[in-house]
Amino acid sequence: MAGDFIFSQIRFPKTITAIIAGATLAVSGLILQVIFRNPLAGPYVLGISSGASLAVALSTLAGNTFHLFSDFFVGKSFIVISAIVGGFLLTLLILLVSKRVNSNIVLLLIGLMFSQICGALQMALEYFSDPNSLKSFVIWGMGSLANTTNKDLLIFAPTAIFCLGALVLFVKPLNALLLGQNYAHNLGVDFNKNRFYLILISSVLTGLTTAFCGPIAFVGIAVPILSRMIFSSSKQQLHVLSSLLIGSIILLFSDAFCNSLIKNVSLPINMITTFIGAPLVIYLMFKNKQW
Amino acid sequence: MEHIVIKNATLGYQKSEPVLHDLNLEFYPGDFIGIVGLNGTGKSTLLKSLCGLLPLISGSINLDGISIEAFSLQALAKKISVVLTEKINGFNLTAFDVVASGQMPYTDAFNRLSKQHISIVESAIYQCGIKGHSHKLMSALSDGLFQKTIIAKALAQQTQVMLLDEPSAFLDYASKHDLFLLLKKLADRDEKCILVSSHDLDLLLKYCYKLLIIANGSAELISVKDAAENALFKKIGGGFI
Repeated sequence: MAGDFIFSQIRFPKTITAIIAGATLAVSGLILQVIFRNPLAGPYVLGISSGASLAVALSTLAGNTFHLFSDFFVGKSFIVISAIVGGFLLTLLILLVSKRVNSNIVLLLIGLMFSQICGALQMALEYFSDPNSLKSFVIWGMGSLANTTNKDLLIFAPTAIFCLGALVLFVKPLNALLLGQNYAHNLGVDFNKNRFYLILISSVLTGLTTAFCGPIAFVGIAVPILSRMIFSSSKQQLHVLSSLLIGSIILLFSDAFCNSLIKNVSLPINMITTFIGAPLVIYLMFKNKQW
Repeated sequence: MEHIVIKNATLGYQKSEPVLHDLNLEFYPGDFIGIVGLNGTGKSTLLKSLCGLLPLISGSINLDGISIEAFSLQALAKKISVVLTEKINGFNLTAFDVVASGQMPYTDAFNRLSKQHISIVESAIYQCGIKGHSHKLMSALSDGLFQKTIIAKALAQQTQVMLLDEPSAFLDYASKHDLFLLLKKLADRDEKCILVSSHDLDLLLKYCYKLLIIANGSAELISVKDAAENALFKKIGGGFI
């Protein structure tokens, strides 16, 4: 049955992908906002998604050259791990820089510059790649929920669930970090250790989703902000759960919207997430309110 | 009863000249000590070293005979609380949330507050006189209320030792006196050992029992009664009083 095929091989993985991608990016953004104590932090605006993208481009190129992709799981794992490492390194770089700047806005600008640099390097790589890889690169770079197969989900879903579940261990640190490094320390929370693990989790969440869906814009920054607007609580365990849900819901609806706006045409998901996220960020910058 | 002994301690930051050399000091329960000194002479360095935020370069700081470096972070959090000059705001944090964080060393891994935790937090809020403001966001508090909230947080931490770094800066005249009266009450009634750095020499002379004068890389602990005759105190600004 064609209908069965469309459901099981296309609709089903895409729906699950939307749910996982929304949840992972939103929670990743929440973690970054807490660590940087900056409500305008997020994996996309800080350039972490771009770092992961660049790593994916590099590893794809390397993989094609060294024929790593003959085995599905080896090839996929290679790309996923590269994306995670790329995201992690970029987060460390941003962290290093953020110690020297005091302004939220400057941090955002630096993130933007990092993502431009990663973009430029990626462009250079694309220039030298063959036409087939180039096309898949460009489409992947637009961000898409449709490239994930059921087989991909076997890697994607368990890793995401494991990382999100690991956050149960970090309820206290997440709440303590809101008060800043010194107060957290004085309340018995080891700042450096917890920050390292939290950045690791955040990088895995972003890298994972970027590896499968490409860079998806603004979900990571907008969802935690929305969560804090909806629930006027400072409890981070609540915001982890609500970001997870709101992120999934937003990506599911965005995807449905992209597919139904023009008949028989599926618009890029980043178009709609940017239309939701960017105005929200601009609005918050103007209001200068501490969400 | 907690008793702090600083022995041959040299304090400062890595990769730069030590700020304070060879300190030998003792602090006792019920001590209300004002730390005075010109800008940049090491008041914050001393406070940060005392609460373990800054590792010692050499020497030791003991709390009841045990080196503070031997305490686990959580155990130390139950002994020493700090009030720093840092701002806390955003993320929907209310005054209550910040005071409640003082109970963090005592809560479970999910940071759940039991009835007992909440009554301690509410008592700290009441004692610091911020009862009507505890539901407000931190960003909406005046400087005076903000400072009292952070002190309430330190109070909710239930520690014998409280360290305060320039808590009276930016406060209006009445709030400053309010603040020092509160600290004096805590030292007298609860036998807390309170060290407070400040540039308000008149307040320190009026409320504290001892002064710790920091100058030229070392520190001298004197009784407030002897301040008028102390040459060092005159030199760092006491001469103008």
